[in-house]
Amino acid sequence: MTGAPAGPDPLVPTLHAVAVRVEAARRLVPPAGTAVLRSIVEATAALFGAEAASLALHDPATGRLVFQVAAGEQGQAVVGLAIGSSEGVAGYVFSTGQPLALSDVARDARFGREAAEQTGYVPRSLIAVPLVDDVGILGVLEVLDKRGDGAFDLRDVELATVFARQATVAIRASRIERDTAALLRAVLVAVDGAAPADSAADPEGAALDALIAAEVARLDADGDDPLWAIADEIARLRTTDPGQLELVRDLLAVLVRRAERGRLGRARSADAEAR
Amino acid sequence: MSTALPAWSEPFAADHRADLRRMAPFERIDRSWAFGDGAADGVVVAVVDSGVEGDHPAVGGALRESVRVELHGDDAQIVPDEPIDAVGHGTACAGIIHGLAPGATILSVRVLGADNRGKGLAFATGLEWAIEHGASIVNLSLSSRSESLFATFHDLVDRAYFANVLLVCAANNVAVASYPSLFASVVSVAAHDVRDPDVWFYNPRPPVEFGAYGLDVDVAWKAASRIVATGNSFAAPHITGLAARVRATHPGATPFEVKTILAATATATG
Repeated sequence: MTGAPAGPDPLVPTLHAVAVRVEAARRLVPPAGTAVLRSIVEATAALFGAEAASLALHDPATGRLVFQVAAGEQGQAVVGLAIGSSEGVAGYVFSTGQPLALSDVARDARFGREAAEQTGYVPRSLIAVPLVDDVGILGVLEVLDKRGDGAFDLRDVELATVFARQATVAIRASRIERDTAALLRAVLVAVDGAAPADSAADPEGAALDALIAAEVARLDADGDDPLWAIADEIARLRTTDPGQLELVRDLLAVLVRRAERGRLGRARSADAEAR
Repeated sequence: MSTALPAWSEPFAADHRADLRRMAPFERIDRSWAFGDGAADGVVVAVVDSGVEGDHPAVGGALRESVRVELHGDDAQIVPDEPIDAVGHGTACAGIIHGLAPGATILSVRVLGADNRGKGLAFATGLEWAIEHGASIVNLSLSSRSESLFATFHDLVDRAYFANVLLVCAANNVAVASYPSLFASVVSVAAHDVRDPDVWFYNPRPPVEFGAYGLDVDVAWKAASRIVATGNSFAAPHITGLAARVRATHPGATPFEVKTILAATATATG
């Protein structure tokens, strides 16, 4: 910067407050990453009694659908495969939002061979549904090979569609968490001008993470902010007996009411002083 | 069993079909009057989908023209296309239509394959082309969720209706807004659970008015293959094929009247 001496940027206190909230949220719910995706495909396979399930997400940078995770031994070969966003069954479902179920896929050698070349696995039957919510389509969920003799029916298609909608909400929530952290990093760099000299040399953003940690440490050092203690205590509740959670919830409700009364009281006395 | 069917298909389930009963205002309309010889000679049907494989045996040489949508930013253009299908889905629809209406000629409008961000625009542009290029019926086994294109699709559906073009649309499986299948003047179709192309039901309670064969349908697929497929998008072309027969036999019938004839000839529900 040139010109006037750099005073404290008025944005910094706001960023501090944001950092506090993001860090508190992280402590309360650890970052999910691919764990969310993995649990979705595993639940899908279990729910439909399927041999395998896989999940592909659209990569806006390349415009392709990339298979991220799979459940079931047979499904693993597909992980990492990238296809055009309107190619094949997954591409069709992604592009149109229309769910499909196919069976006897391997019966026709020509179609089966093409599928096998791509994934190393030709399912007998499959359902492909869009990962869609009110915001848009994120990708495609596939259920492969129902165990036993049956093919997938209309009801299976609907259930998979409804389940995929729930899964989309979970994926979108985990993305918001990730995006918030990235956004915060970017803004702190912009305001504090503390970017690493060569960001290409630090593709993982480790230096920026260190920067965030320093910010939070500074907040921690502010001393008696009770937020951290509460956040850590609530985080510990994850392992608590569900029966005790009711009690904790009641206690928290009492705390919130007391805090509300305290704030109102302070506001009234401040008001009185002003007169 | 009604519990084995999705919401849109539920009215067509065996133990719910009695609810479809209503007055019979068209008693003199039967299938032989409605469909004539069943060939659907000369009717032009557009398939707005993933393309149509022109030399697939199931299409039987009925494909007359193939175009696709090309996007350049916000500008969409129709360009000639090879008779190909990147997925197989459009060929499946064309094969069903040709099987029911062998005299009909098919126009393929490929709207997939463009940049994903423009897919709603590509779809609308393809539909507009079909309406303006002589299609008598347009099969839309896909839909758009783009709220920003609501007005565009509304306008296109009205233009189709006033231009005497019948739009047959697959219903979306979940209750989300999807256009144009939810507009009143289109024929909206879900799958029923009877494995018989000669069975279709009329539901007097919209938005999904017709139930047609869409469960375990043996369909044409890409690379001259065949597969067994399930979905509303395979039910719609069955109604499209029937509508083509009606339009050949009764060339003066408007989209509204074609819909009425299909309702009048629907499978009795007891």
